[in-house]
Amino acid sequence: MGDSQYSFSLTTFSPSGKLVQIEHALTAVGSGQTSLGIKAANGVVIATEKKLPSILVDETSVQKIQVLTPNIGVVYSGMGPDSRVLVRKSRKHAEQYYRLYKEPIPVTQLVRETATVMQEFTQSGGVRPFGVSLLVAGYDDKGPQLYQVDPSGSYFSWKASAMGKNVSNAKTFLEKRYTEDMELDDAVHTAILTLKEGFEGQISGKNIEIGVIGNDKIFRVLTSSEIEDYLQEVE
Amino acid sequence: MSRGSGGGYDRHITIFSPEGRLYQVEYAFKAVKAAGITSIGVRGADSVCVVTQKKVPDKLLDQTSITHLFPITKYLGLLATGMTADARTLVQQARNEAAEFRFRYGYEMPVDALARWIADKSQVYTQHAYMRPLGVVAMILGIDEEKGPQLFKCDPAGHFFGHKATSAGGKEQEAINFLEKKMKNDPAFSYEETVQTAISALQSVLQEDFKASEIEVGVVRKEDPVFKVLSTEEIDEHLTAISERD
Repeated sequence: MGDSQYSFSLTTFSPSGKLVQIEHALTAVGSGQTSLGIKAANGVVIATEKKLPSILVDETSVQKIQVLTPNIGVVYSGMGPDSRVLVRKSRKHAEQYYRLYKEPIPVTQLVRETATVMQEFTQSGGVRPFGVSLLVAGYDDKGPQLYQVDPSGSYFSWKASAMGKNVSNAKTFLEKRYTEDMELDDAVHTAILTLKEGFEGQISGKNIEIGVIGNDKIFRVLTSSEIEDYLQEVE
Repeated sequence: MSRGSGGGYDRHITIFSPEGRLYQVEYAFKAVKAAGITSIGVRGADSVCVVTQKKVPDKLLDQTSITHLFPITKYLGLLATGMTADARTLVQQARNEAAEFRFRYGYEMPVDALARWIADKSQVYTQHAYMRPLGVVAMILGIDEEKGPQLFKCDPAGHFFGHKATSAGGKEQEAINFLEKKMKNDPAFSYEETVQTAISALQSVLQEDFKASEIEVGVVRKEDPVFKVLSTEEIDEHLTAISERD
């Protein structure tokens, strides 16, 4: 990867032992639109703001929440173009796993591979780290799972997490509201309320996106009318 | 103690600045504005129209060789705003990719697929140090078999969105403000309205009335999904219609 002219890593240690390029990448994530995920007893929900630069943009052409496999979905905070690269690599990896083992890839393994890719870009020559953090939501034999992957390539499993602009308020809100025995529907309501906390302007089915996966193990993105229904329940 | 500006290279290649920004990408956007041309694209109910200025800097130049409007396939057009040389390489690669797509999959490359491909290529330049981002904003237009008329805009950062109307270049923001007002209530423009909105937006924003030879206009229409560059006579008809309307 990279030209021979750039066979040296651009991400190097500072005298204090920090990798500043990764820190800057995290800053880029922190200035991205808020997204969050909640793991319920019977499923996982991920959600994000979908603020578009102008009313002239056709919002049906934009989908931030992406499907990686039929039972795994992902949302990002940070630089959209970088997330597309990771989505493509993850999908390919999942497909290769299936081709080899004739079994859907376990969530942990897909997350680990994606994280490995992100780590490689912090160490390889001539490239910069990815400016995104990912929230991966999946449901496999081990049950519902939610993972967050950072630009450094480190990943953790979360019961609930948030990223982007409003992260501290969102996390405080989630800490108060989260319960271990939450049902998926409650989780969706909580997700909407959390997004509402830091939302500038009027929240609607057109400026947020929600993805859910339940016991049926099928990840899907809700339509804007389904979101409107949830919004009315929350009012 | 962290160093201030990342060793000073964050302005030279696409690595992160301390604020988490990519200066090279931001400079690429500036290069698009510096070219001094403004372009407008408008999507109607059954057609898409793009308009751009045609500035011929020297009378000795052959005007027919100066263009920012490129057919990529018979059905897809690309309007490049910004650095002409970068635009030409992009167009060349896009033409190749669209032709390969047709060969590989047996059907014409859809508008959004081409836009995504261009955007993904632009993203690579923002992440790998060995290539700088291109100083071009590309507007892609075509008629999608399922979704109808489509207008996409791709920028040096690797973003791409579908648009109801959009603009690029020197007076981008003023044009977008003008278009937002016009498109606020989701009007379904006819072909003539689409072309006239695009041309009058450009005239209003640049505050000058154009002659047919000073602008380039490209269209695709549902009834005739081929990408067409309008001739000076056709442009004249629209210009006359606009002035009579006002």
